[in-house]
Amino acid sequence: MMSTYNMVKQEFIKKWITTLHMLDCSVEHPLNVTERKNAIKLSSDIAMAAARSGSTVWSRALISRSGNKTANKPVARRILKKARNRLKNRCLTLRRNGNFTAKSGVRKRTELLKSLVPGGELIKNKDYLIRETLDYIVYLRAQVDVMRTVAAVDSVTGNLTNDNK
Amino acid sequence: MDLTGGFGARSGGGGGGGGPYREPIGLESLHLGDEFRQLVTTTTTTLLPPDNAAGSFTALLELPPTQAVELLHFTDSSSSSQAAAGIGGGDIIITPSPPPPPLHSFGGGTTLTFPSNSALMERAARFSVIATEQQNNNGNNNNNETPTSSVPSNSSDRVKTEPPETDSAMENQSLCPNQTNRSGKRKDFDKKVKSSTKKNKSSEETEKLPYVHVRARRGQATDSHSLAERARREKINARMKLLQELVPGCDKIQGTALVLDEIINHVQSLQRQVEMLSMRLAAVNPRIDFNLDTILASENGSLMDGSFSGTAMQLAWPHQAIETEQSFHHRQLQPPPPPPPQQWPFDGLNQPVWGREEDQTHGNDHSNLMAVSENVMVGSANLHPNQVKMEL
Repeated sequence: MMSTYNMVKQEFIKKWITTLHMLDCSVEHPLNVTERKNAIKLSSDIAMAAARSGSTVWSRALISRSGNKTANKPVARRILKKARNRLKNRCLTLRRNGNFTAKSGVRKRTELLKSLVPGGELIKNKDYLIRETLDYIVYLRAQVDVMRTVAAVDSVTGNLTNDNK
Repeated sequence: MDLTGGFGARSGGGGGGGGPYREPIGLESLHLGDEFRQLVTTTTTTLLPPDNAAGSFTALLELPPTQAVELLHFTDSSSSSQAAAGIGGGDIIITPSPPPPPLHSFGGGTTLTFPSNSALMERAARFSVIATEQQNNNGNNNNNETPTSSVPSNSSDRVKTEPPETDSAMENQSLCPNQTNRSGKRKDFDKKVKSSTKKNKSSEETEKLPYVHVRARRGQATDSHSLAERARREKINARMKLLQELVPGCDKIQGTALVLDEIINHVQSLQRQVEMLSMRLAAVNPRIDFNLDTILASENGSLMDGSFSGTAMQLAWPHQAIETEQSFHHRQLQPPPPPPPQQWPFDGLNQPVWGREEDQTHGNDHSNLMAVSENVMVGSANLHPNQVKMEL
């Protein structure tokens, strides 16, 4: 019995393993903690967006954003290119006819939400923004769940290593 | 080797050993970790083919939706299993309304509510994943009617019948009576909306532009503009409701602004958690691709399903092959130096297993890598049983 959310997480894990590996092979060791953190987060974001790889704005925007960060990592760019090509085929043209009038409070918050969701500022229509947000939240949660579980497992082994040193 | 001794002591320590190392926010993961260890120790420790689904890392993945929920005593898994069963049919299944999501019973504690939102996540994920999967073969059963419990006062021909979100979530392809075409937009959580509510004005983004029949309610303006506006507003409201359900603690809030506040907070907190978790993962491991080894080690041949390990291997090792042997040797040379020696044995541990599996399923892609790894792991063979047993 495979639940869809688990499928999301599974997809994310697969992609994450790939991106982590690629990044690891393309950078020189050793790295300090901050660099490692950035690499892990970057690979995780790429994996999340690649796992979605649908016609969502946020996944495309996230991949573009991540592409800038990996300018000096040709290996990582390879997977980004792959994901980008896949996404291009299902291009979604954003409509610019979002002519909704919102109250100031809602408007302000909508703008804030747009800044949070990758690519949100490109979306003029509040309807699509909410749709994107829904999708983004699901995948974000999958990312967090997986990372947390891995961290839990990892801290066990990490502590083991520390004990033996 | 020291590792075996350390592992043995660790296993003797039992499941509670990991407690002091956890931060408060990792409390939930602590539960998961303990449960996970218990699961693993109860399963066979050999490198069997993926027969036993329990006790694996992927079982841990299964854990949140069902067992973690029980673990945390929040709810039963009936809702999620029901949801899964509902979707498992694949067709238009008019399922009875499942119990309201457990979300309602507790509003606070974002970390603790994640497993409890499993049913909700399930539904939301279903919409996004299956929506995209079936984008092209979504030959909707346009003829079917939704079993909606739309408000009786509203017209039955409403553009967007509003069944309770539970129903809409259960139905993989819920349809409005007046649906004629499917919309091009696929990442729609509310299938009903996607399929039926593409009005002329707002539907330019879709390939197909079905006409949506809207009947004005009593006492409302009937010109096309207001009808379109109303339909749009209802669409937005429906999605907002779904968002409300998704974000914990949102259902009791009235007003769009406050709901948006909650959503923003939620997204921000999730993003912050990602930052924190990645920092945590970076701090624990000297290498970037730590969890590759960890996951592979924890897999131990017991998998959620065979495809997971297969695909993971397929993804992992071909990339190495693509890179070069150099990177592979780089990893092989790592063990004597600082990177935790345990990682290396895990590699050697798992490679032959997966090599065997992979050879069956993926041909000769990995044979070279497997051959190399076979040679390398000879030295660490003696560690395997202990480490496998111990690992998690």
